[in-house]
Amino acid sequence: MIDAPLLQVDGLSKNFGGLQVSSNISMDLRKGDRCALIGPNGAGKTTFVNLVTGVIPPTAGTIRIEGHDVTRQSAEARVRRGLIRSFQVARLFRSMTVREHLELAVLERTGRTFRLFANVRRIPGLADEVAELLEGMGLTAVAETAVGTLAYGQQRLLEIALALAMKPKVLILDEPAAGVPHSESHRILDALDRLPDDLAVLMIEHDMDLVFRFAKRIIVLAQGQLLCSGTAAEITADPRVREVYLGSRAHAH
Amino acid sequence: METVFGIAVDGVAYGMILFIISVGLSVTLGLMRVVNLAHGAFAMAAGYVASYAAQTMGLPYGLALVAAVLLTVVATLPLEKLLYRRIYGSANELRQVLLTIGLTFVIVAGINYLFGPTLKRIPLPEMLTGTLDLGPKSIPTHRAFVIGMGAATILALWWLLERTSFGIRLRAAVDDPAMAAALGIRTERLYMATFALGTGLAAMGGVLGAELLPLEPYYAIRYIVLFLAVVAVGGAGSIFGSAAAALTLGVVDTAGKYLIPNFGEFFFYAALILILFRWPHGFFQGRAA
Amino acid sequence: MTAVESDKMTTNTSTLPHSRPALPRIVTDAMPVVVMAVGGLAAFWLFPNDLGLLTRILAAALFVMSLDMVLGYCGIATLGHAAMFGTGAYAAGIVAVNWVSDPLALLAVGGVAGGLIALATGALILHARGLTLLMLTIAVAQIVQEVANKARDWTGGSDGLSGIDPAPVLGLFRFDLYGRTSYLFALAVLIVGFLVARRIVRSPCGLACRGVREEPLRIAALGGSPRRYLVSMYAVAGVFAGIAGALTAITSGIVGLDSVGFSWSAEAMIMLVLGGTGRLYGAVIGTVAFMAIHHILASTDPFHWMLFIGLFLMGIVLFLPGGIASLSARVLPLVKGGR
Repeated sequence: MIDAPLLQVDGLSKNFGGLQVSSNISMDLRKGDRCALIGPNGAGKTTFVNLVTGVIPPTAGTIRIEGHDVTRQSAEARVRRGLIRSFQVARLFRSMTVREHLELAVLERTGRTFRLFANVRRIPGLADEVAELLEGMGLTAVAETAVGTLAYGQQRLLEIALALAMKPKVLILDEPAAGVPHSESHRILDALDRLPDDLAVLMIEHDMDLVFRFAKRIIVLAQGQLLCSGTAAEITADPRVREVYLGSRAHAH
Repeated sequence: METVFGIAVDGVAYGMILFIISVGLSVTLGLMRVVNLAHGAFAMAAGYVASYAAQTMGLPYGLALVAAVLLTVVATLPLEKLLYRRIYGSANELRQVLLTIGLTFVIVAGINYLFGPTLKRIPLPEMLTGTLDLGPKSIPTHRAFVIGMGAATILALWWLLERTSFGIRLRAAVDDPAMAAALGIRTERLYMATFALGTGLAAMGGVLGAELLPLEPYYAIRYIVLFLAVVAVGGAGSIFGSAAAALTLGVVDTAGKYLIPNFGEFFFYAALILILFRWPHGFFQGRAA
Repeated sequence: MTAVESDKMTTNTSTLPHSRPALPRIVTDAMPVVVMAVGGLAAFWLFPNDLGLLTRILAAALFVMSLDMVLGYCGIATLGHAAMFGTGAYAAGIVAVNWVSDPLALLAVGGVAGGLIALATGALILHARGLTLLMLTIAVAQIVQEVANKARDWTGGSDGLSGIDPAPVLGLFRFDLYGRTSYLFALAVLIVGFLVARRIVRSPCGLACRGVREEPLRIAALGGSPRRYLVSMYAVAGVFAGIAGALTAITSGIVGLDSVGFSWSAEAMIMLVLGGTGRLYGAVIGTVAFMAIHHILASTDPFHWMLFIGLFLMGIVLFLPGGIASLSARVLPLVKGGR
């Protein structure tokens, strides 16, 4: 186990009542992976993310982070192990600035939020780390702006920066470009290109341009099952994928 | 034994008054999610109007009661449209508190301008001044009257909410506002009708209870805490919850006054904390309306 | 601006860099303190016959500031904040009458008492939200008042606790008949209190509390516990409220039941909203405005006062949701000449 996968999912299944929403899904993510999870609506992508991050317990299967079985552990415990997700729906502190968001995330990660008399601006290392995060997501210019007044795309970038502030090993991006105009999704892509190299990333996304340009490997879910996985070229050539996903798109045209 | 009986009668009568006033607050809170601190001011205004009608204009008690209730409802209905509609919804507590405190102050100032800063009485008709013999015991007729009115209010509200189409729509809207709107229930009119119902109940309680909650200049501020406590314990939107909470408070407080003077409120608030700690949505939550 | 222009995605950011203060932070930070000190001293010379009232205003300002820490920074709507003020006042008063009379020690007693009651009750009630929480805060204050009313031997009950005779401040400055020492002492306490409070709201804990106010779920997603932050700040605010109560007890020499009353809690909230929440100095502005106008209007007819303040409150809620302090944020762009 010299190089255990950062995230390893085996035979993951979930039943809601009699309904099987995820069945026997296996996958893994290694250092530096750039993986995308796609599938038509109702394929079980959100359920899969919730299972992996610990929001809901699975019916069967195991989830390991760096070889540690976390299947029965809480969402918080998984966060502490470095499994971090970004959120599809922005839950940001609207009146606080971008800088304050990142300060808070870093302080929370390092367990320094209960200090009553420390000046946030003078905590050693904090300003540098925040500056780095701002730079990485191209948010330096709006660091002092209240988040509620930010353009939507920038809120999405902040969402990613917040996830990065928690020092993830595995980063799950839940529709990072949701709501961003198609013409501007390249901004998100640029930011994603600058993610740390050793980070394993799993992206759930509908924007196929973004998926094909970002992901080295694509996993296709359909009806709660893993349909196939492979490179962009392999996926687009796969007739099954065309049928359940791309095909339905082609018909729509 | 005489004391126990006296406490029971006074306590229940007091509780009924608290119920009549508080249930209006409970219904508006349950439906419109508005913390109406001016509710006590509505009761106070009706009391002053009734006192003026009875004392200065010489109207009979019953007529003064009806006039005061109608006048209060008619006078406050525009407030629903002008003020309250802007602050409905549970996300607005702070604005609700501030707006309704402001409204309370304005009403208190207005009443004192119109009627003067003295204690007011609503003279009882002879019918209600004597005592009523119940076998071996006798109770003051006014207390019996208040208890009867309270019981009638419970029954009337029960009938209104369980047996009329207004009640059905009201309960649907309390349970699930979005669904009610989707079903085509016109919430605007429903809110207005409910507001009028709540105000009317406050007005009635203010007049009937003038003997127990004396009409004085700071009535609206002094008693609103009591009314809110009843609602919090009873659970917003629950008639029987309000009744149970109000009667409990009435009896406990009255018993306290007789037995350990002025300690009743202490027990009541201690109980309030314990109940709300255990049941944050009130003791009777779940039974909408 | 160049950095912004380079980023085409920032469709609406062209207005934003202006929102940064034009003055260096050290100036904007020092301003409230200077204004308070200069204004306070000016009032000392201008109104030598009203020092009693002015001292009450200063202590009240500290109390309202502590409410701002709870309401403005944590978003906890409370109508029971007087519980902490009253507990601090009674604790300091009882200690002063029976044991110690050093004013600084008495402030400490008040602060500890206020902090402890806030910690205990906060841990008990801050799981709740909305009306339930509002009721719980009221209930806590009512119980404290009831206890103070019953414990006559210690508190004097409804007659009030009197006979508080503090020793000279630092052993040097005696409390004089004209209230000069009281006033200057209160002014010093308020300014120090403001500086400490500002430090606290700018600390990591203060930052986290603002986060809880806006999106408690997000705080949880970052790994924090919203309730622990709320209880911490509630207790800290309790210390300030307790000190304000002790300050009132020391400077007025008497503690009454109204110091724990519902009205006092409600008035504090009104003062805070008048001045604007989430700024600390807004609490001072609101208190000075409220109590000064109250003094003028209520001396003729208390109901004029109620009418005025009632209309004012309604106007703020309907037309100025951010309070007086938001006025500057709204007017400033206009003054700047349409940018």
